[in-house]
This record gives sequence, structure tokens and C-alpha cells, in this order.
Amino acid sequence: MSVTDGRPPARPVGPERSHERSPGRRPYRGRTGQWAFVGHRVSGFLVFFFLLLHIVDVSLVRWPATYDDVHAVYGNVVLRLFEVGLLFALVFHSLNGLRIVAVDFFPGAVKNERRLLSAVVVMTLLLGIPGAWMIMLPFVRGHF
Amino acid sequence: MSPVRSERADALQARATSPRRRRSFETWSWFFMRLSGLALVFLALIHFTITHIANDVVTTNHAFVAERWDNPLWRLFDWSLLALALAHGLTGLRRIIHDYVRRPAMRRMALIAMVGVSGALFAWGTFTIVTF
Repeated sequence: MSVTDGRPPARPVGPERSHERSPGRRPYRGRTGQWAFVGHRVSGFLVFFFLLLHIVDVSLVRWPATYDDVHAVYGNVVLRLFEVGLLFALVFHSLNGLRIVAVDFFPGAVKNERRLLSAVVVMTLLLGIPGAWMIMLPFVRGHF
Repeated sequence: MSPVRSERADALQARATSPRRRRSFETWSWFFMRLSGLALVFLALIHFTITHIANDVVTTNHAFVAERWDNPLWRLFDWSLLALALAHGLTGLRRIIHDYVRRPAMRRMALIAMVGVSGALFAWGTFTIVTF
């Protein structure tokens, strides 16, 4: 696919030496690939910002009492739901990333693009739901 | 290069005509995304499984971390995860900024802020893992 994909070329932006823009907001024109693209961006963005927070909370480990106090918050049901969300974001981003790598390195795979995406979604659910169950189990059992 | 033609046009023409492409920064960035992504599938999912599935999150307290980091290989594992995840996320966020932040001044500021925050947190995280 060309960079402009039939549309007028994007107006030049940024410093002159900046690289080409990626095709922009809707490179796949609303088809299945568009949803994979959106899901990949959103999940990656969220995981990255959790990572920034996580570096800070782990750095408290040099003060054991403070670390344990702050860490105990992660057992709260609201944060458990947040961890479930993190799990789904991580698993989807991982599997969809593998799909992207597969299509990049084996261009023939693009013929099965829809089936690959379905496999990503099914496997995300197959891995995510049992993991979510394990994370929520202490809450389900009533000691949280 | 004539002053009329943009560097971008030159780059595109070079890419189309040269039989042996020069590897640009963007090519390396694309390649790095794939390689680090493949490594992170294992690093991140193993990390999450250990801290949220195999152990309940409540039990991963200070004593748990101390025991794990007693082994330098786990420190190396966690540091690799830190470095690769930050670099992978930074490359992705750069892509996002280039797509959505159009005004050059804003874009420059967003990029500087992003690199600054990630760099500081990389130093902070490395300090935590090394000096614990």
C-alpha cells in the first residue's frame, strides 16, 4: 500500500527532516484491519502509561514499610479489575503484534489476514478469561 | 541536492531506484519494534504470569521482591523488561505523536517531554534494580 493510498498527499508537517507520516488515522478504511490498528494503538498506549506508573511504585521497594502499604492497594477490587484490563491489553497487544510480524515477514500471510485477526481475538479471550478468573478469585472468595 | 526538492522526495527516489537501500533510522525503528516486540511477548507475559496469576498480587510484597532479586538473573530479567518495554513504548508513542500532533512546535515539545520522562524513569528504574 502506498503512503497516500489514493488520497491527496498529506501536507508536509514538522521539521523538514522528520520522517514520512504513517498513513494516518484510517489507513485501513474501516475494515477489520482498522479495528486491529485501533486496538493495537490503544492497548499499547495504555500499557506504556501503566509501565511509567509501575516504575515509580516499584522504586518504593527500598522503603519496605512504604512499599508494602502502597502495594496492598493492588489487592483492592477496583485495582483488580484494572489488572484484568491490563492483562487483556497485554495479551491482545502481544498476539496482534505477532500477527503483524507474521504479515511483515511472510507477505503471503496477508491472504489469511481476517482469519489471523480472528485467531488473535479468540486466543486473547482463551488466555484472558482464565487469567481474569485467577486475578478476581480472592475477591470472589470474599477475602480481599 | 537542489534547494527546491525536499529531502523527503530525495529519500523516496533513492529508495525507489537504489538496488541496495541505505538503512534509514525509520527502517531500524521498524526492525527494532519487531525484535523487541518478540522478546517482550515472553518477558512481559512471564512477568505478568508470575506476579498476578501464579502468585496473588497481594503476596508480591517487599519480602517477595527481596527473595526474587536475591538472584541476579531475575534482576537481569526485570532490567531487560524495563529497558525493552520503555524503548518499545517510546518508539510507539513517537509514531502516535507524529500521526496526531500536527503543529511543529507542539510536536517538538511532545517529543522532548516524552523522551525526557522516559529517560528519567529508565534511570530511576535501573537505579532501583541495581542498588536494591
